[in-house]
Amino acid sequence: MPSSDALDVTFRHLTVSYPDRAADALCDVSEHVRAGEAVAVAGPSGCGKTTLCLALAGFVPGMIPARASGSIALGDAEVLGAPPEELATRVGLVQQDPDAQVCTLNVGQEVAFGPENLCLDPAEVRARVGRSLEAAGIAHLRERATTTLSGGEKQRLAIASILAMEPRVVVFDEPTASLDPLGIEQLMALLASWARRGERTLIVVEHRIDALSRLAPRLVLLDRGRLVDRYPARERLDYAALGLRGAWTAARRDATPGADLLALRRVSFDYGTPLIDSLSLSLRGGEVVALLGPNGGGKTTLLRLMAGLIAPHSGSVERDPATRVGLVFQHPHHQIFERTVRREMELGHPEPLSAIDGELAATRLGDLATAAPLSLSLGEQRRLTVATTLAQRPRVLLLDEPFTGQDRRNVVWMIDRLHDVASAGGAVAFVTHDISLAAALADRVVYVDRGTWHAGPADDAFAWLRATGRAAFAPEARP
Amino acid sequence: MSARGLRRASPLANAFLLLAEVGAALAWPRLVFSAATLSVIAALARASGIPLRGLVPGRRFVVVFALVLFVAQALSVRSGAVLVSEPFRVTTLGILSGAEMGLRFLLILAASALFVRTTDPDRLADGLVRLRVPYRYAYLVVLALRFVPFFEDELRAVRDAQRMRGLEVSVRGLRRALQTARLTFVPVIVSALHRVDTIAISMKGRCFGLHARRTSSREDARSAWSIVPVAVGLALVAGAVVGRIWGGSG
Repeated sequence: MPSSDALDVTFRHLTVSYPDRAADALCDVSEHVRAGEAVAVAGPSGCGKTTLCLALAGFVPGMIPARASGSIALGDAEVLGAPPEELATRVGLVQQDPDAQVCTLNVGQEVAFGPENLCLDPAEVRARVGRSLEAAGIAHLRERATTTLSGGEKQRLAIASILAMEPRVVVFDEPTASLDPLGIEQLMALLASWARRGERTLIVVEHRIDALSRLAPRLVLLDRGRLVDRYPARERLDYAALGLRGAWTAARRDATPGADLLALRRVSFDYGTPLIDSLSLSLRGGEVVALLGPNGGGKTTLLRLMAGLIAPHSGSVERDPATRVGLVFQHPHHQIFERTVRREMELGHPEPLSAIDGELAATRLGDLATAAPLSLSLGEQRRLTVATTLAQRPRVLLLDEPFTGQDRRNVVWMIDRLHDVASAGGAVAFVTHDISLAAALADRVVYVDRGTWHAGPADDAFAWLRATGRAAFAPEARP
Repeated sequence: MSARGLRRASPLANAFLLLAEVGAALAWPRLVFSAATLSVIAALARASGIPLRGLVPGRRFVVVFALVLFVAQALSVRSGAVLVSEPFRVTTLGILSGAEMGLRFLLILAASALFVRTTDPDRLADGLVRLRVPYRYAYLVVLALRFVPFFEDELRAVRDAQRMRGLEVSVRGLRRALQTARLTFVPVIVSALHRVDTIAISMKGRCFGLHARRTSSREDARSAWSIVPVAVGLALVAGAVVGRIWGGSG
């Protein structure tokens, strides 16, 4: 790609604060990123990672109201406060949610969107579209409707759309959040090839540091808005000691499976093409089950079948009507309805309301009882939705990607809650793309992929995945 | 699969057809004329490779709503020969008027569905820009259509969450209806606002609005098929005008 040379990025004493928050989002951050270097930015939820991305790309301050001081330089040019549309040919930002950033309905048109805004000649626009799709590895998708793409394909489309602007610095905000293991592998291979060539400066914000091992970037650690540490590229780190989310190595519980609490008997479901095909599975008391598979493979549909939200097209889902089922949704805002945290807990609460104070304290939300739930951080919202679900005393707890976008502390909290339910004789099933977490937690694994499925004890299932060419969905070594 | 029928026509020609269909139906709402227009829409859908059920999204709701319109209109018209006098007065004109109202509703819905399913919003935006509509406004059409499936998905997720929480959602009675609206629309609107923020960043980050004009890398969608929607639209308008002058206003 005839992109211009990569640029140095220099932050000097950068401080950013938002009008509605007392603490600074970024506080006196200074760092130099060399041209062509790959740097990962990590830290717990709310540490300022996304603010750093937004400030570098020109969205903070300005489009997002904030006060900022200090300096951000691209090469020799000062850019703090410059409007994003003026920076777009130098800095490209790939946001976390690949689906939400798609503006048009066709892949080729989506990639052409930026160059067309630059008023480039149509022939040059088409040439850039071709080059960008090629660089992102999705040239074959040029004529496809954007609505038909998988999560991984959409992520690559978002990258191609930014590449078409030919930026010299590319910033990724949690690029693995929506991707299945295969998508992560492909994305990291792409970024690693860029890093080797040094064509672009890469800044990658990420919770799942282990996912970056192939890219092997230099690591910068933020905590409560401050830059607290730096680690050279390829240094072996004890992520747990740093409070970061690396590969999970927690020991599994010794589970003694009890009676079937929920059973699927030869269940089939399709959306025109088969999604779940004659699947039989039981969730037993005391057991934790991981549901794995590629984006769009049918994991969420399987959870909805288990929860009774949709009926199978054939087969049956059986459970004692007295067995309560709770479902924690992938996006917390779908199951938040009230104006304060306390009222949210009270909504549909079956127990005497006096129990709520204890539940809020156990959720580490006691101090936020009067806060608006939607003003909480993503991690706090996730804890709240788990708490409101657990308040229903479910015997079967289902969770759809509960660990996505969560830092290590929240993941540990959630693992404890899952163990609480299983230890009390309940069954837990969770969807995840974090294979190391699945390996550490699950007694059994169910893999689904558009009609293909396999279920079995975790070790057997991972062996089957490796043997059938699906090694991306199995851990490298059993913890 | 190659594009067929109206999918090959110019988006502006399809937009003209939509306006002509709706305008003609409103100008001369006679049952026969509406039925004929609906038949034309069905034929164009078939020629464009769209199944007839694709013209009526949310079929159950649409049929119920059309029936409600029919009944309400039938009961509100007092003139004409009385068919039933107790407990409600139903007249021949009431039945005719109700049928016209229900059919007009179906016609407008089917015409809109045909337009949405045969017209590329990006090309429509290009066409509007060629008509000197500022591109910032033309792209609102693209974004509006982009958001339709999103709202459907969000609404489903929120309803699922309500069911799992055991929340009673009902529209019986004003208080319950308000409660249901709050429990449903607050999460959906919050989600939509989040989406709007993300897409605004995505657009600004690709220089949307930097210049007063923008280029289009797409070929101009001119094909012989563009004559069809224009000709059909003109025929419908002419039919409505003639019918209104010589056939009465209905």
